[in-house]
Amino acid sequence: MSVDPATAALELELQRLTAGALSPLARYGHVALLLAATLMSVLLAALLATEPALPGRTQTALAVLLAIGVSWIAYATWVLRQRRPLLGHHRIVAGRMAVVFTGVFFAGALALGASTGSATYHAAASVGASLLVLAFGTLMQAHWRVAALQRQRRELQRQIGPAA
Amino acid sequence: MKTDAAALAPDDQLLVVRCQLGERAAFDALVRRWAGPLHRYARRLADDADVARDLTQEVWLRAIQSLGRLRDAAQFRAWLFGIAHRVAMDRLRSRYAMPLDTSDVLDTIAAETDGDDADITQLLGGLSLLPLAEREVLTLFYLEELPLTEIASALAIPPGTVKSRLFRARHLLRQRLTAPENRHVR
Repeated sequence: MSVDPATAALELELQRLTAGALSPLARYGHVALLLAATLMSVLLAALLATEPALPGRTQTALAVLLAIGVSWIAYATWVLRQRRPLLGHHRIVAGRMAVVFTGVFFAGALALGASTGSATYHAAASVGASLLVLAFGTLMQAHWRVAALQRQRRELQRQIGPAA
Repeated sequence: MKTDAAALAPDDQLLVVRCQLGERAAFDALVRRWAGPLHRYARRLADDADVARDLTQEVWLRAIQSLGRLRDAAQFRAWLFGIAHRVAMDRLRSRYAMPLDTSDVLDTIAAETDGDDADITQLLGGLSLLPLAEREVLTLFYLEELPLTEIASALAIPPGTVKSRLFRARHLLRQRLTAPENRHVR
């Protein structure tokens, strides 16, 4: 079926819009995350590089925080490169990343709290635990949503038959 | 009059579900499927081609940004035209508010039957003679073939109001097309 040039141009324009449809709010949020994570990572890397005399435990804590910072940089870059709203499987990927990062933070703070007995680490572990619960909830929601969509997809394919 | 709910076809629903799952290829198919109807709707409401094009793009962007929040793929068409309606309301607000001279029409509506659709289809060429709200409901019903329930959902009004607006729109259309100064439109 031939499409007239005006319609073809409109379709191209809509496809272009679709490819960059991340809402301004989400875009600015992820740019802010990227900047914050980059700043944090640069500072931590500088500290690790210039302060070799720091105690081993502190160096380990800083290295873990650096790893988390780099992970958030990777996540924000991934979303901004996608330029599309996070849908279905993307939300699962985002949810898994959030669970891993917050999990690492929580485990690190917990381990340091247990080894040092410092109240600061215990407070950090509490914050980490709350974030982990939130991240896990988000991940579960994404899984339920995708599972529901997959069920719907199978049902629709069954209705349509082999053509689907 | 077609009042029974013609549900969105399963293949259209499947396309929406695939998009909601995040399949890139499905978005291109979704554009191909809905660019035409959306643009046709926008073109009927906005008399200017550039305005219609802008309107279509804005509707599409909003739809894609909120597609993840659509709970039922079967409602996609009503949901999409609901967004289109709200965008058109924003863009063409002054024209939506245009006073409608129905004083002589409303008296006769009660006596109107459904009218025959073939006649109406023939008259649709004269849509531009109507105020925007009436033009919109005729476009959705006759050109986009949305069932009454979906039009009601898209326009956020009760189905009864859709019916009365359709009656009024058809009557106005007939009246305006048969007015001596507009006979050339037929």
